[in-house]
Amino acid sequence: MPIIEMPDLISNGLARSVELMAVAAHNSFRFNDRNTIRMRAIDGEDLEQIAEYCFSLGDMSPLAARDGRHLVQLMKEPCSLLLIGDKRKSDFNYNCGACGYRTCAEMNAAEEVESLTANGPSCMFKNINMNMAANAAASMAHRLGLHCRIFSTLGFSALALEMIEDVDLCVCVSVSVAKKNPYFDRHEFWTKDHWDEIFDKEFPPFNRGFIGAVEE
Amino acid sequence: MERSMKQYETDRKEAVRLAARLILASGTTSPRVGGVGECTIHVLDDDCDIEDLCQEVERMADIKKSWQFFKRDAAMLRDADAVLISTSLRSLTDPADINCNMCGKLVCEYLKEEDKLPPDPDVAFTGCLCIFRANNIAYAIDGMVSQARNLGIDYGVYWSAGAAAMRMGILPRDTGFALAVAISITEKSPFRDVPKRYADINQRTMNDRMINRLWPQFRSIYS
Repeated sequence: MPIIEMPDLISNGLARSVELMAVAAHNSFRFNDRNTIRMRAIDGEDLEQIAEYCFSLGDMSPLAARDGRHLVQLMKEPCSLLLIGDKRKSDFNYNCGACGYRTCAEMNAAEEVESLTANGPSCMFKNINMNMAANAAASMAHRLGLHCRIFSTLGFSALALEMIEDVDLCVCVSVSVAKKNPYFDRHEFWTKDHWDEIFDKEFPPFNRGFIGAVEE
Repeated sequence: MERSMKQYETDRKEAVRLAARLILASGTTSPRVGGVGECTIHVLDDDCDIEDLCQEVERMADIKKSWQFFKRDAAMLRDADAVLISTSLRSLTDPADINCNMCGKLVCEYLKEEDKLPPDPDVAFTGCLCIFRANNIAYAIDGMVSQARNLGIDYGVYWSAGAAAMRMGILPRDTGFALAVAISITEKSPFRDVPKRYADINQRTMNDRMINRLWPQFRSIYS
């Protein structure tokens, strides 16, 4: 029997797990049996691009900057992103009104609004189908014992960087085999300097007195 | 009926009640975008409540041609042992303030200024909803589906029942979007292998024609 070392076991296992997650997402429940999602797995150097892009959005979105900073840390141990995307137009003909248009035909004919995060207006049931696929992938990751979190910020960035093509919406499932769960309780990123710089700017009411005066 | 068969029927019903709660637990703990709670899950496990829901679903079927399939949904839901309805409480009133443009309004401020659709009979959900928030429902529904699969229970997902429940006023006031998961603990899933014209031809109508109509005639002739 050949001997396989632990790093190989882990990285091969991760690659195989992402494939299984993709199968779970591909076969998840969806409305009207419309299997239109597109998927792509990203790891290694391509993640750096996403992290840099997210971090560069810092002024606009502290959330994206936080996730960019987090991704840099995440990349130090084996990890992978499963991107799941879909088109925005409805092919259901449910005419349900959730998108703000009375009929699917009206929504499909409406002018497309492009942006860095997603193209709209989009069909609610397209979104539901896509996110159910994402949750099915996350559910599979959970069963396989991987650390897992769903990120919309990283999904938006991958879409903006055209890492997944021919889609209008994108969400991403991130998995990792780090020694400690890297997705929750991420206090190590908050150095005192960084906290002092960000906190007062983003949450000014917290240190403000009842009548609005700043407490020194 | 034999005593042991009655016991089986009682235990089956008990299993439905237990399973519905476990499925609710899984749906509740599924991910939420931004970690903000917004979904509630409501269990209908009383046959009378499910029948009320089916009647509303059938009423909605006549409103629009594109909702004709609601009649088939109602026929399936009548065979369900329990219906779980997941709601989204923030999609209507509280956009996520993340400017994701999934709704096509570019930024959340524009979405807040936009007029909602009027609550007319032919409008199921009074959009435009915050799609980023409503995506939580997808996670809740898949959490429930995933648990139903783990427990080996048959399930079906219906938007007709969600919309009907909103219309009946049995969901929280702020509900903007709702979907339903029906579960069944029976030997043959009522949600699969559904023939064409299922609303007209199903086990219930078939029993009515074959047995309930023939038996009185048989009895009057052979008595």
